[in-house]
Amino acid sequence: MTPPFYIALRFLSHRKRALLLSLSGVVFGVAFFICLQAQTRGFAEYFINSTLGSNGALRVGSRFEPRQRTSLVPPKTSRTNVAHRQYFEGITNVSEIMRVSRQFSNVVACSPILRGTLSARSGFENATVDLYGIEPALHLQTTDLSHQIVDGSLDDFRNKPNSVVVGSRLADLLNVEVGDTVQLLVPGGQYRRFLVAATARSGVGAIDNTRMYCHARVAQVLLRKPYAASMIIYKLRDRDRAPALARHFETLFQHGASSWQEREESTLQLFRTLQISAAITVSLVILLAGFGIFNVLTMTVLSKIREIAILRSMGYRRVDISAIFLWQGALVAVAGSLIGCAMGALLTWGVSKIPIRLRGLLSTDHFMVAWDWRHYLWAVLLAMISVFIASYAPARRAASLPPVVTLRGSSL
Amino acid sequence: MKFSLSCRDIERYLGEDESRVHALRGVSLDIAPGTVHAVVGPSGCGKSTLLYILGLLDHPDHGSVMLNSEPASNLSDEELSRRRNEFIGFIFQFHFLMEDFTAEENVMIPMRRLRKLSEPAMRERARELLEAVGLEGKLRRPSRHLSGGEQQRVAIARALANDPGLILADEPTGNLDTDNSHRAFDLLRSLVREKQKALFLVTHNPEIAKACDWTHEMQDGRIMVTVRHDQLSNLEPISPEI
Repeated sequence: MTPPFYIALRFLSHRKRALLLSLSGVVFGVAFFICLQAQTRGFAEYFINSTLGSNGALRVGSRFEPRQRTSLVPPKTSRTNVAHRQYFEGITNVSEIMRVSRQFSNVVACSPILRGTLSARSGFENATVDLYGIEPALHLQTTDLSHQIVDGSLDDFRNKPNSVVVGSRLADLLNVEVGDTVQLLVPGGQYRRFLVAATARSGVGAIDNTRMYCHARVAQVLLRKPYAASMIIYKLRDRDRAPALARHFETLFQHGASSWQEREESTLQLFRTLQISAAITVSLVILLAGFGIFNVLTMTVLSKIREIAILRSMGYRRVDISAIFLWQGALVAVAGSLIGCAMGALLTWGVSKIPIRLRGLLSTDHFMVAWDWRHYLWAVLLAMISVFIASYAPARRAASLPPVVTLRGSSL
Repeated sequence: MKFSLSCRDIERYLGEDESRVHALRGVSLDIAPGTVHAVVGPSGCGKSTLLYILGLLDHPDHGSVMLNSEPASNLSDEELSRRRNEFIGFIFQFHFLMEDFTAEENVMIPMRRLRKLSEPAMRERARELLEAVGLEGKLRRPSRHLSGGEQQRVAIARALANDPGLILADEPTGNLDTDNSHRAFDLLRSLVREKQKALFLVTHNPEIAKACDWTHEMQDGRIMVTVRHDQLSNLEPISPEI
């Protein structure tokens, strides 16, 4: 134990009220930072996982061909290239694209989907349906549909070609339950009856409001499409590499490809803004804690002027005096961070147990929280920086106090 | 530890502009081991200023301080601090103990900085020193719970903690009653004699000044008279009990 550390420890332990004041500021700042970040990140993660669980991390869509350019000067940017594409609806070589793409190490599974919009009717209720014609086996490998079932059975859906899986909120809209029938309006003006085999809840309002799953061959008949799939969705090992893979697939297959980050950009930005806003707000609490420590240490310096002078006369260097006050700050920061982290974890756990019925952008019955070590790291870093800045000025002041002035003043 | 200190032609100004005072005017002095020096004079004559300069706590504006025959005027804060810690022990009128620390811990503070002894060895030396000043039963007592005389004795023990060659005392008995001040002085003087240290003290007490080997009388920043007292008479303790 170095002499400045020892003296800092003694100074702190003998000023319990000041210590508690400084400590509580850091503890609450760190704890609130962690808890708030866990909440905002929790909802964002829930949205991302739910979206990926329903729509995949990457989507390959319609085929395109570069348009004939009239300009003599070739375009320079890729955006200009996109503008000069001509798209052809549907994917005709589904199995070939899926075979090739499965060879990419990042691809876990892929599933073809024939997508279209239809009107649905049940009793007196009508709704517009986003129909997904799927291959059940492939789709279950690629998405979390099996975990999203809230009522009914996927086996019933698999075994009965004239059955559908209905989004939970769409089922509420149409006022149907498992075992009921729902009628879909096919082009030509005829209604066809389908059995509701299951209802599913993804957690994302936009999906649960409109989504209905049927068998791919049935969808092809209903939608009267000449191709087997309008898109292929992918489950990836590393979802963060989806944009790079999408660009690669576009070049490789000459089909439009989009990552989940592109598709959900606006919602993700909303979550990011909320997270930054929360971080700034709680950082202010930590800064306030730093200000409290600054006050406490400044008062300590003023009350310990005599001790500082006597330490200097005993051979303690300026750097030792400075270290005594920096150590006091550091001890408060370390203890405050440790207790703050524990309290933050406890608060986060408590918040995750709060019942809340959300049925908007997201559907959930309790607060979503994310357990991420980076929240703790950032909170501790912020506390350390704040306390260091707060301790630095009093420490410098203490070190620069001329001992003779104090000693002479006291002997008068 | 053998020790020598001298200063030559020390000039020191204090304050700024209109309040600027010429505190020391060409002071020269030699302090040899085994000697006790007293500085006397009216308030404001520069006694304490000289003590702080000799103790390397303050810099002279002109002149030199030689510590063990080495000039100390241009040393860095690091070096000055090291020399203060190793060679000089301070005693002040108001004791200046660390309030939150026990008597034992106060004595250990200079030893912690020197880092020559282990924790148990430091504790043992602190115990010995406090025993020597008659505080063996009050090692663990917080310094603020000690009487004025006891606090001053802790301050003496602390000044001796690193076995320094020079003890500088600024009115060490100024805050004590006659009995206690005589006891404290006799203790210091006997230590100086036994261990061949040097003691330089500022005092207003004529009895104590007379009991020193050398008395320097200061006025207006100058040493006007230096008197060497009879060595034999100085062997007598001034406190009848000791």
